[in-house]
Amino acid sequence: KQHLVNTGETGEVRRSTLEEVEERFEWLKRKRQDEKAREVVDLGSRIEVARE
Amino acid sequence: MAHQADARRHLDERGYTGPLIHNDNPLKLFEKAVRDRVVDSYYWKEQCFGLNAATLLDRAVELTCIGGTFGVGQRPTPFLCLAFKLLQITPEREIIEFYLGKAGEEFKYLRLLAAFYVRLTYEKGEDVYTTLEPLLADFRKIRRRTREGWSLTHVDEFVDDLLQKSRLNPRTFLEDEGIIEPRESALGEELEELDGEGSEGGGNAES
Amino acid sequence: KFWDDEDIAPEDEVDDTDNLDDEAERAAWKLRELKRVRRDRLAIEEKEKEREEIERRRNMTAEERE
Repeated sequence: KQHLVNTGETGEVRRSTLEEVEERFEWLKRKRQDEKAREVVDLGSRIEVARE
Repeated sequence: MAHQADARRHLDERGYTGPLIHNDNPLKLFEKAVRDRVVDSYYWKEQCFGLNAATLLDRAVELTCIGGTFGVGQRPTPFLCLAFKLLQITPEREIIEFYLGKAGEEFKYLRLLAAFYVRLTYEKGEDVYTTLEPLLADFRKIRRRTREGWSLTHVDEFVDDLLQKSRLNPRTFLEDEGIIEPRESALGEELEELDGEGSEGGGNAES
Repeated sequence: KFWDDEDIAPEDEVDDTDNLDDEAERAAWKLRELKRVRRDRLAIEEKEKEREEIERRRNMTAEERE
């Protein structure tokens, strides 16, 4: 979806600014941290289940 | 300064009006055979289309290895495809430095992707050295895909390779000319200490 | 995820997880860095020697001319 917006109808890709790059990075970083946190929780509950 | 989404159009001599690197279309920094393999690959077509310097991060943070081409078909790795994409985007230097620095701290394969790009595109040898040498202090583990399989390397080793195996002006030359200062090792004061321990690990620690 | 190969060992055979043994990883890096420093120093010494040799020859021919 993003690329359709980016390429528009001219077949050109819109350049992004440093600010956009920084925002995207922060978002991806948070996303990865959340995923990791979830993995830890999952692992923890699986261990508990195994113990029971 | 937008780029053509279609690499074939981007490579068309008559139509090319984008930025020049080393006085030529930056996509030509890859040999034709490699370019063809990249542009024909599934990853390039499906995952790289329409990326800009921000959305490229989505792909770069998913990287799990470095490498050129692999397997019998000499297929390009995602790393190689994204490097080619960077040549197409030619991001501003401040964006490349963000990839190398803050973002690279978080995502090691992104850091190496940017380092590779710097090595390919920066026109002044001294800029290549001063930009990449700080990364010699980064010892995170890196998975490399080779023609035969997989191997382990490290950020510092990959960066050192970039600086050694190249046609850059030797560092000693640039130092003699007073263009750059001698490199400061991240070992700092520890260097003398280690150096004093003799050559026990010096000669045969090749791994 | 990207594509499947049957002929090549799977990527998980090489573990790129960091900080498993921080001390050992740091020590291995120190060794690599030390080798780089020594290599670069050697390159400078070689160059120095070359320069001295050129200088020596130049002086020799000057003496011979006298």
